[in-house]
Amino acid sequence: MPMDAPPAGASPPAIRAVGLVKTFGTIRAVDDVTFDLVPGRIYGLLGPNGSGKTTLIRLLTGLARATSGTAEVLGSRMPSRELLGRIGYMTQSDGVYPTLSVGENARFFASMYGVTADGAVEEALRIVDLADRRASITGTLSGGQRRRLSLACAIVHQPPVIFLDEPTVGVDPLLRVQFWGYFRSLAQGGATIVVSSHVMDEADRCDELLFVRAGRVIARGSGGDLRQRAGTASLEDAFVRFAGEAVAPGDPAPGSGAGGAR
Amino acid sequence: MSRRRTIALFRRVAQEIRRDRPSLALLFIAPIVLTGLLTFILREGETPPVNAVVVNLAGTPGTVYTSALTAALEEEGATVATAPDQAAAEQMIADGDATVAIVLPASLGTEGQVEITVVTSGLDPAGEGSQVVTVSRALVGAAATITGVTPPTVVHETVYGTPSTDPMANFAPPIIAFFAYFFVYILTGVSFLRERTGGTLERLMGTPVTRGEIVAGYTLGFGLFAAIQVAILMTWVLGSIEIPAIGPLPEVSIGLGIDVGGNPALAYLVVILAAMGSVSLGIFLSTFARTELQVIQFIPIVIVPQFLLSGVLFPVATLPEILQPLSYLMPLAYAVDGLRQVFVAGADLSVTALQVDLLALSLFAVFFAVIASRTIRREVA
Repeated sequence: MPMDAPPAGASPPAIRAVGLVKTFGTIRAVDDVTFDLVPGRIYGLLGPNGSGKTTLIRLLTGLARATSGTAEVLGSRMPSRELLGRIGYMTQSDGVYPTLSVGENARFFASMYGVTADGAVEEALRIVDLADRRASITGTLSGGQRRRLSLACAIVHQPPVIFLDEPTVGVDPLLRVQFWGYFRSLAQGGATIVVSSHVMDEADRCDELLFVRAGRVIARGSGGDLRQRAGTASLEDAFVRFAGEAVAPGDPAPGSGAGGAR
Repeated sequence: MSRRRTIALFRRVAQEIRRDRPSLALLFIAPIVLTGLLTFILREGETPPVNAVVVNLAGTPGTVYTSALTAALEEEGATVATAPDQAAAEQMIADGDATVAIVLPASLGTEGQVEITVVTSGLDPAGEGSQVVTVSRALVGAAATITGVTPPTVVHETVYGTPSTDPMANFAPPIIAFFAYFFVYILTGVSFLRERTGGTLERLMGTPVTRGEIVAGYTLGFGLFAAIQVAILMTWVLGSIEIPAIGPLPEVSIGLGIDVGGNPALAYLVVILAAMGSVSLGIFLSTFARTELQVIQFIPIVIVPQFLLSGVLFPVATLPEILQPLSYLMPLAYAVDGLRQVFVAGADLSVTALQVDLLALSLFAVFFAVIASRTIRREVA
């Protein structure tokens, strides 16, 4: 399996996975994943729907228990309840309360994280450009606004490690640019950011990509690096190429599993 | 357990309920309307008139008895007709011209035991039972008139309070307990299911919150509304405000004005303990539901058996022997008994039966809270 070593001489990893396995019955949703992710970088988990990205994030955040292997965040073995206060997790669904106002949602999640300062809530709402909607009832917001609120709730405690599960789904292109600009500024501030996506055209905004297929990391590197190694012009083709290489005898034909990777 | 987080959870739950108008209506208005309706039915219910038809097969002695019986029946407010034989009388019942037939046998007036047959349609056992009671009273009264021997009268006394003629006095306690239990279960179950399916529980579990804090926050939030609900319901059931007639408006009274033997605060404690158990039960059962409809589908499994086995309709002592032990497993049974102890028997905290009820309700609340928190895992599918 092509697997790059972490950059030499870098700071200690913020996130470390060693032989992570998660099975549901006979399905191996996460299949022997090992990697180190260092602070200050944006990592993209790329793969089709059902390839195990969300399960991998849930193992790293301690929301699911690994069948075998270990996950560490900031040097602590997950699951660790204490460490959750230093992790931001934007779930795939919005996960906000529709009957509460924007401000109430942000304040509620802030207090769950143990943040009491009103300034933190205001700052988070300002970042996602919802400060002037703080009194609006969440259920009346547009889909994109709800997504922004969801992001605000995930970063309200200014965590050093952030997992974003498909953060830009349903978000319009303009806002998407804003989101990525914000992710970049967080990374520059030293945060480790893991973004999952099945949209390849977003991938080049990440410092490093991890191609995920059938629960395995089949390739890792920067977008340019991966294209070059695969000898393809697009990341999509590169994914198909790596997926083909990773197919064991008896698996479906190369590329068939990557149908969702646009 | 972080107090700050628990309070934040409590506030959030309370805010959600406060904004949910239909649920507020369900919590606060439905019990008042339903208890009002039930009281109206029980207190003002019509007793169907007794339309008797007498069949005299006994000749002359029967004629004397028939006139005495007719007088006695008419005194009871019944109408009396006659028929030549039992078949004709039964036809009158079938045609709706009579509700009860009294057949005086040929042996009437001879020595020995006389058997008088009373015939009803058999369509309404309860209503016909009361008809037979009326007829029996008239038969005894008629016999007394003829023989001149006055039968003894029965005076009913009770250990607790005066024998109340208000059918709601005994019915109100179980109804209050049932409503508190039932509505809190539905609202918590649905609310927590939304938490599970809406992705907010997943997000919540991504924070350092503990499941104990979640259960505590929910218990406080729904407990607050249950407390308000029960306060309103008890005021409505126990209170009675007479509003005098104003102009064309007739005099009305607000509240059911049911007499209570004991301290209403104790009754309140009983219901609140039951409601707290119900919150956790709702959280627990929401694990097994995928949709809100399924929470409702648990009602026949979870709520109806409690309704049948907890003494709401049928006293536990009248249940078949094999079912009686089951009532010990029903939290509602202790709530119903506890409320009856306070309302009817006027029990205070020194009464063992009430102590047992309070203890059992507390244990159920703790037990349900524990199993509810077991269902909130960091590993949510």
